[in-house]
Amino acid sequence: MNSKAITRAAAATIVLIAAATISSELSAAFKQLLSTIGSHHWIGKSVLSVVFFGLLYLVFTKVSDDSFTLKDTGLLIGTVFTSGLAILIFYVMHA
Amino acid sequence: MFMVNPLILIHAVCAEIGLFAFLWVLVELLNPSETRIARAQVAALAGFACLFFAWLVGGFYYVEVYGLHVKPLINASDAKWVHSIVMEVKEHIFLFLPILASLTAALLYKYDGELINNRDARVSIVLLAGVIFLLGFSIAGMGAIISSGYRFALMTGMT
Repeated sequence: MNSKAITRAAAATIVLIAAATISSELSAAFKQLLSTIGSHHWIGKSVLSVVFFGLLYLVFTKVSDDSFTLKDTGLLIGTVFTSGLAILIFYVMHA
Repeated sequence: MFMVNPLILIHAVCAEIGLFAFLWVLVELLNPSETRIARAQVAALAGFACLFFAWLVGGFYYVEVYGLHVKPLINASDAKWVHSIVMEVKEHIFLFLPILASLTAALLYKYDGELINNRDARVSIVLLAGVIFLLGFSIAGMGAIISSGYRFALMTGMT
């Protein structure tokens, strides 16, 4: 297993979840597309998050060496808090 | 009378056991030995399994029960913000947890005994387990607000 690749895949997937969440509220067509993937837009996002995590790991394995450092984890944790905050601010403004 | 759906109870209990499993991982790795790393691996695997199960049960409840019976009541009450802000944030931020949990478990199994000397990998796992625990319990707090919002909607609907 490539530690750097899986950490980068996790960060990219979390950004994609936040982007899909906000985009689905702004575009009815995208929300409908997500509902087509699952029977509900939230299921669509859940399925996509698993699929993208796997696919992005494969992509990052090709481009990353396995020199895993604390900086990679710091980047991921920063992504978690930024994405979470983006979702929170969006729904507060959107409500 | 206000009845708690058993699915909510299963979802919350599984998720909280999963979160405490990651707190256990954090504690074991503060001063790691071969035995402590082995226990942390079991805890991380159990934690991931609990969070995954909580995801399935919570998802089923959200789509089949909450959306049909709870959401309309909350949205018709003065506590509409409970759904439009708290539930929306909770259901989406929750999706971060299985990813972080699987990553933490994967790193623990990859580095195994190396964690005693590999500071970057050890601190990474400690930080990730801490983030899972804090994020998870923020989500649990949101769950408590949603339950209170539902009770409020039921009570004001009856008067």
